[in-house]
Amino acid sequence: MGLYLVQQLINAISYGSILGLLAVGYTMIYGILGLINFAHGEIFMIGAFICYFLVSLYHVPWVIAALLAVAASTVAGLLLERVVYRPCIKRKAPVLTVFIASFGASLGLRFSFMMFFTDRRRAFPIPEFFEKMYFWGEIAIGLRDIIIFVTTIVIMSLVACFIKYTRLGTAMRGVSFDTKTAQLMGINSARIIVAAFAIGSALAGISAIEYGLTFGIVNPGMGFTPGLEGFIAAVLGGIGNVPGAMIGGFLIGVGEILFVALLPPELSPLRPLFVWALLFVILFLRPTGLFRPNVKFAGIWGE
Amino acid sequence: MRTRENLLKLGKVSIGIGVAAGILLLLDTYLRGFYIGVIILFGINAIVCLGVSITNSHANIFSLGFGGIMLIAAYATSLLTLPVAYKSQFLQLPLWLENAQWPFVPALIAAGIVAVFSSVVLVLPAFRLRGHYFILASIGINIVMTNIGINLRAWTHGPLGLRNIPFYTNIWWIYGILFLTIFFVWKLLHSKFGRAFVAIGKDQTLASVLGVNVVLYKIYAFIIGSFIVGIGGALWVHHIGAMNPHVFELVFVFQIIAMLAIGGSGTISGAILGAAIITFFTQLARPVQEGFILFGLKVPPLIGLIQVLIAMIIILVMIYRPQGLLGRHEIRWETLHEAVRAAHRRIRGQT
Repeated sequence: MGLYLVQQLINAISYGSILGLLAVGYTMIYGILGLINFAHGEIFMIGAFICYFLVSLYHVPWVIAALLAVAASTVAGLLLERVVYRPCIKRKAPVLTVFIASFGASLGLRFSFMMFFTDRRRAFPIPEFFEKMYFWGEIAIGLRDIIIFVTTIVIMSLVACFIKYTRLGTAMRGVSFDTKTAQLMGINSARIIVAAFAIGSALAGISAIEYGLTFGIVNPGMGFTPGLEGFIAAVLGGIGNVPGAMIGGFLIGVGEILFVALLPPELSPLRPLFVWALLFVILFLRPTGLFRPNVKFAGIWGE
Repeated sequence: MRTRENLLKLGKVSIGIGVAAGILLLLDTYLRGFYIGVIILFGINAIVCLGVSITNSHANIFSLGFGGIMLIAAYATSLLTLPVAYKSQFLQLPLWLENAQWPFVPALIAAGIVAVFSSVVLVLPAFRLRGHYFILASIGINIVMTNIGINLRAWTHGPLGLRNIPFYTNIWWIYGILFLTIFFVWKLLHSKFGRAFVAIGKDQTLASVLGVNVVLYKIYAFIIGSFIVGIGGALWVHHIGAMNPHVFELVFVFQIIAMLAIGGSGTISGAILGAAIITFFTQLARPVQEGFILFGLKVPPLIGLIQVLIAMIIILVMIYRPQGLLGRHEIRWETLHEAVRAAHRRIRGQT
């Protein structure tokens, strides 16, 4: 039983990494704009698609394709901000209006991919290099899982240091905590929003490539479930709190895999139910998430 | 004077009902198949929109959970009305439910009541949450309900869904219920009870200072809204004749939200206008989506085109006219009267 548990934990770590990276993007954008970027899951999907196309159709070397995919999802996130969010914010639209617009952007992106590339699942190209397995006693670890985990930890530490120590990062934290005061201190909040979208979307792109490596599929609807679970992870970690979101992502990912692994197989289709139940329980016990959120609640929603 | 006014009002109402009945009779006589289906679907969407507007627009509790509520109501009515042979073949139900053969109206009301109970049970705990957390939890209600629908095979036949649901609806039923709903919502919004909802929607703190029990009235808003929404879901099922756990998923929810946002939140005519625009647009654009041949040029099928176009429309509306097409203006007799009079004046002025 112990060995089985350890094996399942190892399997869970890559899913936890995927959710953690998504959650960081959510938490940054939510902290700064005060709204759920509903289309974050679609940015994730775009990253995976670009990588798939570059490798399968144009035979670009995998590493370059992955880097280009991250760049593409960053561009997609910036375009989304430019086309949908900035006009709404410029007109000082109420939060709900912007939320409906982002809901629209999410479905619009998903269905436009469905329209051009159909709903079919495609095989994500996984280089041979990643298929290598290491055995340690009875426990098997794929090189893929190790690389995913290490990459995620490195990138997350970079983001955390960026947020904590650089001027731009400090400004981002300031806007997230109290937009008005930060603006009075001379911070250009439009620039901060662009920075948040750029970082969040790049992280979504990295996460998408990890998703492709782990599950080996790409389809237009792939961003929906990880997107929502990433947001749940962000809520779990306290909105606006970047390290909290990372931990939240790992908790949700590992919890989900363990739920499937430990309970009888008849219950495994109920996986989404587990995530939402977890969210409800946590919101009841600690409505602000596990860690201290970095937002002033009164200012954002007006309640 | 008073009797004269009342007589005038009675006259207007009866003329209105007469005109509406005449139009419906014409539609019923001359339209067949697909086109009558579009008209019926518009009626159903308008009913759902009115139900959703009570919570989302008037009481300003933005919930996306109505898809899950509609799913429950739809399963309730279909389990009550499906043929016994079908139920015994595909489902494992308790005996009383398996033998249940309810007529249309009681099944509808039962669906509404089931919707009310489920919404109270599901949404009540979520009231503790604020702002986006509430929206997130309400999305969760949809997903959890779909998931339960897929996995509770004994009751729902799993992802394959139910077929052979009797077609009870026709244009008269749908529009009768639609007019009843409009009348009811109108009366509600102009009563003391309903004005409390509007007060909560405008300013929650002010409403509570004025002595409105905010939580209680929010629950009332949910009860009334879910009843109407549940009936809408039941009518949809009886119109289509089949269902599966995915019918009221987030795409459907988005369409309803788009209807409310495009038409204009906070008014009855806005909800109906939005329902009309989106329903006719989606239904009439359907042949385009499935591919066609134009002057020998083959246009490939573009599944999803409608959703993309709706998404674009909604983003544009949210950017350039966030209050919706009608804004807060209600179309009423007086508005029409004024418009006719103004047009008349203009014509007379020109000649």
